[in-house]
Amino acid sequence: MKIVVAIKQVPERDAQFRIDAQAKWIEEADLQFTLNESDAYALEEALQLREQHGGEVIVLSAGPERVGTTLREALAKGADRAIHIDCDDLGARDALGVAKLLAAAIQPESPDLILTGLQSEDLGLGQTGVILAELLALPHASLILHVEKTETGLKVKRELEEGWFQTVELPTPAVLTIQSGGNKLRYATLMGIKRAKTKEVRRVTAAELAVDAAPVVVLERVALPQKQKSTQILPGTAKEAAEALVEKLKVEVRVL
Amino acid sequence: MSGILVVLEERGGRISRFSWEAVAAGQRLGAQLDQPVSAIILGAETESLATEIAARPLAKVLRVEHPLLARYTADGFTQALQQLIQKEWPAHVVLPHSYQVRDYAPALAARFGEALIGDVVAIGDGPVFTRQLLQGRLNGVYRHTGSGPCFVSVQAGAFRAELSETADLQPAPISLFTPALDPAQIRTKPAEPFRGSAQTVDLASAQRIVSVGRGIREAENIPLVQELATALDAELAASRPICDAGWLPLERQVGSSGQTVSPRLYLAVGISGAIQHQVGMKGAQCIVAINKDPDAPIFEIADYGIVGDLFEVVPALTEAVKAAKL
Amino acid sequence: MIALLPTLAEPQHFSLIEKLLFAVLALASVLAFWRRFGKILGKILKSKQDAGFPLFPLGWRIRDFVWEVLFQAKVVCERPLPGLAHAFVFWAFCAFALVTLNHCAVGLGIGFLSPAGRFGRFYFYCAAVFALTCTAGILLLFIRRFFFRPKWLGAKLSYQSGVIAFLIFALMATYLASFFVAGADPRARVLWWLHTLTLLVFLPLIPHTKHLHLVLSPVTVFLSRGSFSQIPPLVGDEDFGLVAGTDLTRLVSLQAYSCVECGRCTEHCPAANTGKLLNPKEIVLGLRGYLNDLGPASEEPLLGKYNAQEAVFQCTTCGACEYQCPVGIEHLPILVGLRRGAVNTGAWDDPHGSKLFLALERGSNALGISPTERDKFIEKQQLPLFDGTQEYCLWLGCMGAYDPKGREIVADFARVMNYLGASYGVLRKEKCTGDPVRRLGNDLLFQQLAEANLEILAQNKVKKIVSICPHCVRTIQEDWKEYGAPPEVEHHSEFLARYAGKLPQKGSGSESIVFHDPCYLGRYRNVFDEPRQVAALAGELVEAPRNHERSFCCGAGGGLAFLGEETGNRISHVRAAELSATGAATIATACPFCNTMFRDALSATGEGAPQLLDIAQLAARELPKGSSS
Repeated sequence: MKIVVAIKQVPERDAQFRIDAQAKWIEEADLQFTLNESDAYALEEALQLREQHGGEVIVLSAGPERVGTTLREALAKGADRAIHIDCDDLGARDALGVAKLLAAAIQPESPDLILTGLQSEDLGLGQTGVILAELLALPHASLILHVEKTETGLKVKRELEEGWFQTVELPTPAVLTIQSGGNKLRYATLMGIKRAKTKEVRRVTAAELAVDAAPVVVLERVALPQKQKSTQILPGTAKEAAEALVEKLKVEVRVL
Repeated sequence: MSGILVVLEERGGRISRFSWEAVAAGQRLGAQLDQPVSAIILGAETESLATEIAARPLAKVLRVEHPLLARYTADGFTQALQQLIQKEWPAHVVLPHSYQVRDYAPALAARFGEALIGDVVAIGDGPVFTRQLLQGRLNGVYRHTGSGPCFVSVQAGAFRAELSETADLQPAPISLFTPALDPAQIRTKPAEPFRGSAQTVDLASAQRIVSVGRGIREAENIPLVQELATALDAELAASRPICDAGWLPLERQVGSSGQTVSPRLYLAVGISGAIQHQVGMKGAQCIVAINKDPDAPIFEIADYGIVGDLFEVVPALTEAVKAAKL
Repeated sequence: MIALLPTLAEPQHFSLIEKLLFAVLALASVLAFWRRFGKILGKILKSKQDAGFPLFPLGWRIRDFVWEVLFQAKVVCERPLPGLAHAFVFWAFCAFALVTLNHCAVGLGIGFLSPAGRFGRFYFYCAAVFALTCTAGILLLFIRRFFFRPKWLGAKLSYQSGVIAFLIFALMATYLASFFVAGADPRARVLWWLHTLTLLVFLPLIPHTKHLHLVLSPVTVFLSRGSFSQIPPLVGDEDFGLVAGTDLTRLVSLQAYSCVECGRCTEHCPAANTGKLLNPKEIVLGLRGYLNDLGPASEEPLLGKYNAQEAVFQCTTCGACEYQCPVGIEHLPILVGLRRGAVNTGAWDDPHGSKLFLALERGSNALGISPTERDKFIEKQQLPLFDGTQEYCLWLGCMGAYDPKGREIVADFARVMNYLGASYGVLRKEKCTGDPVRRLGNDLLFQQLAEANLEILAQNKVKKIVSICPHCVRTIQEDWKEYGAPPEVEHHSEFLARYAGKLPQKGSGSESIVFHDPCYLGRYRNVFDEPRQVAALAGELVEAPRNHERSFCCGAGGGLAFLGEETGNRISHVRAAELSATGAATIATACPFCNTMFRDALSATGEGAPQLLDIAQLAARELPKGSSS
């Protein structure tokens, strides 16, 4: 099975950040970057499929030079080779624009399966995989926890709301967006990193891929949310506090 | 190109609450732009659903009906909606940001050369749409600059479903739209949904959890908390000392050496909130803490807290919850 | 008075046939010895070379050799009565060197030490004294092993030991008996042959039994790695630790063959004492078995048939085993080496272990908590930030920054430092020192953490570090050396002890305090007195049965605090019970991990459990009210 895993390098979760001067995004200079969490699960799923059925796992990522580190991490975890779409203006492209870039790079590979993480930790759009499927005219399924290869294609386990699940069958080639938590992630090993030194990282520039970059949705500005999380202590007697809590749960939290 | 179309979803034979929130969002937008708001329902049998929808103040209700839409598939819904949108050509398409919508709306938008503005928490003048970035630590304000319809999905709980109701006595007109669908176009075969694996306890997927800690003092007192859990339709969980002592089985343990949970509601009763416990539950959407020590670390991460004797608070809470359900 | 003369040494009129017979038998014995010993020596020499092994300077090696081998110091100190008995046997062996040489020379007609001469007679009488003590010793050891049957020698009776004990007895007995027999007496010749045959049977038995230690252990002690728990660096791109036979180095092989099976390591092992699979003696013997069966060129995994992976990951790295070993076996580099082999190759698949590694891959601390929590703590406690001008950098560590108990210790230590007017600050950013992943054998992650931290320290121009956690202290001072030059670092007990005179003291007749020596402060760093000095400010010290270098681990080390449930009894509960049983009102700790482990254990005890406080908290308690944080 030839599997392409599209991964994204995102700022480290819970990192301190500052909004940049134009209030368009955050200052990246002091940030540490890491592999997006659900992409790690997508990679893990791909590696397990390769272990079971043979084939090749190719990781692909778009972004500036620093993305190379994350690609090498993915190679260290077991991917066979990597493609780096060198692109300095990822932030200026919308979800459609990014998907077009990825589709252009994936098309010549003609993979059997394309996996992406469910959504990124920075923008959280969760659309890239679905749009990729549309652009490549492939069937897709999202929020996938488990993938099985069948005679006719794939059988996947999809997560639904409120603790329900569903299996879906679809033919290959296909696109799947992978939800976190479906597998146990493997940790990076010294052996993996050493082996990764000899694996291929092919670089292609965004310009070479010649896709239309004009965005149809623009992020105008960013701001800190008004309400910071603060604890509301409910005062009064046990009865009063209990009733106040129930009110909150009903109206504000909407869980009753 | 004008008008606002809101796509609704059904759950258990009725329109989902989330859909009404989307309608409310659509109405907000409609008021801002002074444009009519219409609703769409897809399915194989949409008559009764449409009647339910028509009771709300809407310009019209569109039934998109086809046998191939009996069960949701991305291909079916995308095709059908694409045809409808091409016919109606609205300025905005509003959807609830449900798992289902996330599965097809980006593809649908792409067919129009558009990108979905998803999981919106607020609509401002412009219109501009606010989304949460960086796991809710930053807000982003988006504007649509494309030439086709603007696709927007709204976050659950961001718009009040009640606002979509008003005492309007005239039901909205209902019309039927039959999309042209071909079985060969439907590439995915979904099966019947099912519940999670038959474990006795599945904390990881529980939506509501009531968790008990050292403050309970004795095993004999646990039924007190169990009653609250039952009233809340929640799973019972515990911090490590309770499971260590054998008062509750290990599979109910939450924390670094137990389960990691992320329910919508986590109610920590008599739990101090040591780090080892916190790492197992800080992903919960709403954390409520009941503890007699005002300095307990759990209060630092709780959304709501009651400082008091749990032996008084818990029964009072159970009462209040039962009363609210009536 | 009988003329007691050592007729064993008297030249006899051996016929040519007797001399030839002796020569042939001696040759056969030597050949039999070499046949086995040569093979073993071959396996040791064919093992991989140890990277960066510092043979020089020889000074301390010679000193340790004299102390541990010649004086039998460890043998005696750690198990006094049997140790002394063994010492007598050993010293007799040393004394008998010349005797035996001469004995063989006599058999060939070229004896060189005559009992008639003054030196000869003096020497032989001295040897007789040694023979007497040796006989007493060997009898005692025999009775102990076969009648008292101590647990640590193993459940199975060792017939091998019985045979050897008999042979040693026979050697001494025949030697002593010869004093009562005149040279011309035919019985003298019988005694001579008995002694000779005993010798010639003994010699080839040496490499076939654990008595190989006679030959190897002096070498093993001499060739120690140099310091306690010295983890060797990995060399090159293909070195992942102890994966297969090809990874066994000469030191490891030498040590594996030196094991005397005395069981002292197991006797003090917290895992072995609480029903776990891990038995340090069996780990070493497992390697020996591997070498015997497969040799150092085999690619078969070391963890599998000969040693269980499960056992290796039950080690808390407390070091009681290595500390005890009388023949110089260094268990910790072996255990960590085996862990490295499993982790660096991804063969270790443990859910908690993976969680720990993934938390540190993506984040800054071992607990998987957002670093903003650390910032909040610093702000709330109003801890000064390190800006390059202060004398000390107060290293918080994961426990100090995120654990509620650890935070209390930091807060109280800060109060004391403020009282003393010490100049210190905390770093804006810290990453985990990497202690748990270092002990678990994840070199990739450890390197990343060490390098990132060294960078932070360099950027902030940190010259001196003080920390409340012995694990941080050890890792910063020793383990980070592999990746850079760490600054000076000390433990807060060392800092506080220096100023103990300036700190307020409680009056006498106060509460009793039992101090628990943390493994990483005691055995690893040899710091025993300083924390006691600090604890003594707050009360009267009592000692636990196992204290100082014999302290029993709390169970958190070796990364185990982050792994799942233990099997068997909880190590922390065992130690907590031991500390409570002293009757002390307060248990004093000097490590946030010990503190956390005992807190959980004591809460199971319920009412009446002793108080649990870090030494910093004890010192802070005595400060005048109103001393601010």
